[in-house]
Amino acid sequence: MRTAYLFVFAQAHQDFRLPEILSIAELHGFTITFPKEGQDPSRPFVVLELEEEHHARLLARRCILIKAVYEFYAQGSTYEEVHEANRRNRHLWSRYIENTSFKFMVSAHNHTIPQWRQREVIESFSYMDFMGRIDMKDPEIVIGCFEEYPNRSGTTRAKDEGDGEFIQVWFGRLIEEGSARPLIKKFDVKKRAYYGNTSMEAEISLFMANQSLASPGKLVYDPFMGTGSMAYTTAHFGAQVFGSDIDGRQMRGKGDQPGIVRAASQYGVSARILDLCTFDITHNPWRCGELFDAIITDPPYGVRAGAKRLGRKKHRPDLTPSTPASVRDPDMPYIPPTKPYELAELARDLVLLSRYLLKPRGRLVFFLPTVTDEYQEVDVQTMLCEGMEVIANSLQDFGSWGRRLVTIRKTTLERYPAPTFDARLPAPNGSEDVAAHVPAHQDFRRRYFEGFRKVVDDESNK
Amino acid sequence: MVRLITHNLLACHVRGCNSNNFPLQFQDVQIGLREAEFNPDFLRGFLPKIEWNALVGAARQLGDTSLPEEQPSMLDDDFLKTLHHVLLEIHVEEGAMVCPNCKHVYPISNGIPNMLLAEHEIG
Ligand SMILES: C[S@@+](CC[C@H](N)C(=O)[O-])C[C@H]1O[C@@H](n2cnc3c(N)ncnc32)[C@H](O)[C@@H]1O
Ligand SMILES: [Zn+2]
Repeated sequence: MRTAYLFVFAQAHQDFRLPEILSIAELHGFTITFPKEGQDPSRPFVVLELEEEHHARLLARRCILIKAVYEFYAQGSTYEEVHEANRRNRHLWSRYIENTSFKFMVSAHNHTIPQWRQREVIESFSYMDFMGRIDMKDPEIVIGCFEEYPNRSGTTRAKDEGDGEFIQVWFGRLIEEGSARPLIKKFDVKKRAYYGNTSMEAEISLFMANQSLASPGKLVYDPFMGTGSMAYTTAHFGAQVFGSDIDGRQMRGKGDQPGIVRAASQYGVSARILDLCTFDITHNPWRCGELFDAIITDPPYGVRAGAKRLGRKKHRPDLTPSTPASVRDPDMPYIPPTKPYELAELARDLVLLSRYLLKPRGRLVFFLPTVTDEYQEVDVQTMLCEGMEVIANSLQDFGSWGRRLVTIRKTTLERYPAPTFDARLPAPNGSEDVAAHVPAHQDFRRRYFEGFRKVVDDESNK
Repeated sequence: MVRLITHNLLACHVRGCNSNNFPLQFQDVQIGLREAEFNPDFLRGFLPKIEWNALVGAARQLGDTSLPEEQPSMLDDDFLKTLHHVLLEIHVEEGAMVCPNCKHVYPISNGIPNMLLAEHEIG
């Protein structure tokens, strides 16, 4: 028998909520069902069904976007509806009537309820007849009642105006407050011993670690390691992390001890940073595949850290081998010439490389920047290959552009050879339509600097 | 850093260098020992990926002779602890790794190996 739980989500990254709880459920091997049709997951209150209360606690302890989980008693667009539903669910709360200390909380989303009406709301539940002591400090149970109001930000209102004009009321018993959200502070980039201008904000790094199913015993790889933002959160959840970057200075910073090791020590996870290597992902030294449980990365998309790869823009056969310069820089015994790396090409290479390097059922978690107006579902399809399946695709919206956090699962048991990284369009995937489609992330860097003007036809196919 | 688990996974990738390009040979190394968390499940899961002879050879090159010549079929706790130490607790901080075939030198500085290739090596 499944029980319904009321999830209260933080007001951020709405598109990321369901992927996150589904990932953590998969990590712990349980399932979530969606009892109500047409629930809008962008609203902060969502009712979901679980087999055990313990599962609700596991989610509350790990999901960054969960504020709290309640056992669900009732909801309604009026208090009459709420009370009626709550009376029907008496069997859920009758055991607390006799002798349980409690606290009753009334609050609102997008609104502040005046004190006098909070009391009125509490009194309207008096038919529940709780005989236990009211205990504001250390109650045995907390009962919560939430009024959900539409977002009216930007409008000015007199105090208490619109009070009572809620969309919905939600009612239940607190199971557990979300305890993962405070990690956002812990991993605050500005308080980190080492960071750079490519560092990923803490909340997203935590969220990505959850999408990667990071946990003890897992091996995770970031092939565009930079300053290592996701390595710290991934290691925090117990996984061991391997990092590489074409530019060793990004991982080292100044000083003898690499910056990434310094930051990892601050979080007590330096032993879980397995190793850091300098190399170009398109010329990599991996001896074999099927090594990693997850690949978690923020590929260079050219806005702050342009994508490069070894090689020159034009082949110049007259050039003699570059001169060793071992004295100059530990990362550059040679002068590595670099040529630009187009984003659509890079995304496809990353998926192919991940299929090679991931264990079966392993996950690739990465960001794909995209032009908001032009994005189409098929864009993500253009970079897929056989055996790799998109399981989540969440938008972080910045207005004219955005980035999509894509989670891909390796579904195949087959062994594929290492990718060759020859520039080849169209994609090896599926139908001709998909192969011929020009995704909105193609040429992203140039278009970013052009301010995403609409591209004229002959331009877009270059 | 540059633990032996990593060393066991890296091969020379100079263009055309496709045989006898593994394991890379350590040269002029400075090593450090640092404790890591013991996770027997991880070790058991990872063992099939390891090239045993390369691991034994690399450990010996660094002065650790605790591993048996032949990979044991019984994975008891004693063995896993030894394996744990060799794979994860020995760090090569300075020196280089050299390809036995083409002699490419991959230098290691502050524990980070430079596996970049030069223009004429990538073709
Ligand atoms: C967006 S940044 C990653 C930032 C990182 N998540 C952090 O927290 O700092 C992209 C990184 O990719 C690296 N990079 C660019 N082209 C590369 C290539 N071909 N192979 C490997 N790394 C590359 C850049 O040096 C840069 O550090
Ligand atoms: Zn070689």
